[in-house]
Amino acid sequence: MPSKSDHELVPVHELMSDKEAKEVLESLKVSIENLPKILESDPQAKKLEAKPGQIIRIHRREGKHDMFYYRVVIGE
Amino acid sequence: MIMQTEAIESIKFGVLNPDDARKLGVIKLTVPDTYNEDGYPIEGGLLDQRMGVIDPGLLCKTCGARAKSCPGHFGRIELVRPVLHSEFTKVIYMILQSTCKNCHRLLLSDEHMNEYKDALNQIEEAVEIDAELGDVKLGMGSAAMLKRIKNMKRCERCGTVKGKLKFSAPTYFYIDDYKMKPDEIRDLLEKVSQDDLQVLGIDSVVARPEWLVLSVLLVPPVNVRPSITLESGERSEDDLTHKLVDIMRINLRLEQNLNAGAPQIIIDDLWELLQDHGTTYFNNETASIPPARHRSGRALKTLAQRLKGKEGRFRYNLSGKRVNYSARTVISVDPNIDLDEVGVPLEIASKLTVPFYVTAWNIDKAREMLSRTEYPMIVNAIAKDGKRKRVIDLNREELIKDLQPGMVLERQLADGDITLFNRQPSLHRVSIMSHRAKVLNGRTFRMNYCVTAPYNADFDGDEMNLHVPQSLEAQSEAKYLMNPKYQVFSPRDGDAIITNNEDGITGMYMLTKDDNFLTKEQAVYILSIAGKYELPDPTKDGLYRGKDIFSLLLPKGLDFEGRSAKAPFVIKKGKLVQGVVAKDTFGRGDNKLLAKIGKDFGYDVLKEFIFVSAKVADAYVTMMGVTVGVKEYTTSKKLAEERVRLLSETFSNIEKLIEDYRNRKLEPLIGYTLRQSLERMIIAELNLVRDRAGEMLLKYESSDNVAVEMARSGSRGSVLNIEQMTMFLGQQATLSGGRIKRGYYTNRVLPHIAPGDVRPGARGFVATSYYSGLAPTDLFMHAVGSRGSEVYKALLTARSGYLYRRLSNALQDYSVKSDYSVRDANNNLVEVVYGGDKMNPLYTQFDTVD
Repeated sequence: MPSKSDHELVPVHELMSDKEAKEVLESLKVSIENLPKILESDPQAKKLEAKPGQIIRIHRREGKHDMFYYRVVIGE
Repeated sequence: MIMQTEAIESIKFGVLNPDDARKLGVIKLTVPDTYNEDGYPIEGGLLDQRMGVIDPGLLCKTCGARAKSCPGHFGRIELVRPVLHSEFTKVIYMILQSTCKNCHRLLLSDEHMNEYKDALNQIEEAVEIDAELGDVKLGMGSAAMLKRIKNMKRCERCGTVKGKLKFSAPTYFYIDDYKMKPDEIRDLLEKVSQDDLQVLGIDSVVARPEWLVLSVLLVPPVNVRPSITLESGERSEDDLTHKLVDIMRINLRLEQNLNAGAPQIIIDDLWELLQDHGTTYFNNETASIPPARHRSGRALKTLAQRLKGKEGRFRYNLSGKRVNYSARTVISVDPNIDLDEVGVPLEIASKLTVPFYVTAWNIDKAREMLSRTEYPMIVNAIAKDGKRKRVIDLNREELIKDLQPGMVLERQLADGDITLFNRQPSLHRVSIMSHRAKVLNGRTFRMNYCVTAPYNADFDGDEMNLHVPQSLEAQSEAKYLMNPKYQVFSPRDGDAIITNNEDGITGMYMLTKDDNFLTKEQAVYILSIAGKYELPDPTKDGLYRGKDIFSLLLPKGLDFEGRSAKAPFVIKKGKLVQGVVAKDTFGRGDNKLLAKIGKDFGYDVLKEFIFVSAKVADAYVTMMGVTVGVKEYTTSKKLAEERVRLLSETFSNIEKLIEDYRNRKLEPLIGYTLRQSLERMIIAELNLVRDRAGEMLLKYESSDNVAVEMARSGSRGSVLNIEQMTMFLGQQATLSGGRIKRGYYTNRVLPHIAPGDVRPGARGFVATSYYSGLAPTDLFMHAVGSRGSEVYKALLTARSGYLYRRLSNALQDYSVKSDYSVRDANNNLVEVVYGGDKMNPLYTQFDTVD
């Protein structure tokens, strides 16, 4: 059965490596707790098997531009 | 200033222990009264001087200090019978419900209790090391636990069957239909162990449950409830004092009855009365208790009322404070005042002050200012040690002598000083802008009417506030960020909100019409208003084109192409060559004349253009004598004929539709039933007449009709307004579901209408005008609509106002940082790139976004 998360309106979620995550935090000049959050139980986080503390990059399209959004995974 | 800073780690609230209360309330009050016959506070009464003093000069009998420095001291009332603290009845109920009446243990098995304890410990540990809550089992919350306790039928330990506990507001507890006395409740609460309470989430070190039953009542010091001396010399006591007198009186009566060995029933009645008085002392709005009232019938303001709500301590005194260096008065117009000026009454200007910082370089000037004895003079002198001295004739000479760099002089507000001007509700940033003060005679603030739009102000009695920024930093911030000239365009959509309006547009429209010519006298007069002392080239007849006059107001070399009043609007090399100035010329919608001027010539030129064109338009309107009277709303013969023709045409069309519908010949619209289709088609016909009538109006009314001219230029009124006055009102009472169709018994609005009649007149279409007068039925239809919109308006403003307040409070400290990310005050990232595209509507005027 097709999953809801395969729908074209669900933006691409991508789990970032620790190294990438560190770079992103540095470039945004934020500490990890100041990042927007995503629940570990979120369908996309589950699919990526993300663990609390990891960062998920979301590829969203704003008008004609591809944009990155970042979410730190948190537990319940 | 030396400041010691230490971060507060945590605050723990508890309940006052009666022993502590007795230590705190050192004075035992015994007399339920305030003053004796000589007007002297009664010892042991509610204004006992040992609780502090409020009259200046008197000494406190406890600490010996004067009113200013005495912090006040608590007194206490020893209640002869305890009462429940009414604000904690929920907690008491919870504990009573959760414990066994026999062995006083929690109604849980050891096994379950340990489970909860473990869960609690885990949470506590996790909080301590600031970690995520890993494997705390779900369903371990207190809600789940209480539910489990509630379902217990008997005590697991001693086997006692649980009694039927009932709580009845405000403070009554029944167990198996027996009404428990407060002391019995206290006995039960006393026996619950610390361990069991911990499981219930109560730290019994700071909050033993039996402390919730009061046996001693703290009486706040007199400076918490000061008495006021009225002009008549009569003393008026604070509401709290009144309430405390009540409590003491009942307490005393109860004591006397107890000592006299009165029957139990009388004792119980008085006891309950004491309980109710105690309840209203804490909260006089407790449900199911009639509020304690003043002799006048006004409800007393007791403890909870002091803190609660909009007028409570928190919202009124702590979140909202009054400010110095501010003024408030009625506003009125003055077109000669610049957009970024504000006319300040001399009376206000002489009270408000601006600091003058004395340095080695301006000390001579300072001396000169200090020696002045009338209006622009120095009010206060602040010495280097921060001591503020009022400058009076007696000490002026001395101050001049002692003047030295580093002192600050407070001088009266003068022309050109930077002030902040504000009108509430401050819904957006342009509700507060900085204006240069201009000291004037009169008693109102004067402002240019072009800046009414951002403040949403009018002059029907509106008042506005004026603030004087004191520090140089604040002054320059206000000057360079908040000046109206930088705020011409709205951050919402980039449209101009500081523009010409009303007469300022009518005048421009009339001036720039194609066939408008001015005589030399007129032209010279108008240009002198604008401060232009040159004339354009005259026509052959020695007249001057209105467009040429307007062109002189434009910045030199402006090139612009746009549309205005539905026609092309072209400016070439600073000359208006085609088109007429109307509402949309000034930056509404797609027409960006103001944006163009701002972009090409800067904010100062832009401000000057708005100011001058408004002033000129005003002068022109005044010169031409624009006025509206009955003549504007008297239909010409031609128009009257058109009206009859249009209406009969529409009505016959509709009759035909109904005919077709009856004969099932009507072609239904896709997605609608036949009936719905008919209704939609009728509405479409009626909308069509309305539009066509408007077209006729514009076609047959000449430019002599000022009302129509104003509608054309967009300055005030619409074609529909005029149409309703001269031709017909059109469809009235369109409720949410379309045309009005019921109201009387059977499928009709009024008894004179046949049931099921769908013709225009039967469903609220009014074919008469305000000028011709309305038939009673038509008036009714009109009133239905008016009532509806009035009610809607009242509801909508309250709703949307609160919605907006919540929204703006939630967003208030979000800002766009230098890397275009949006963050809050704690550096929490909200959005990586502002708006996803870095686009600010304010700066996207001519750029196309692809």
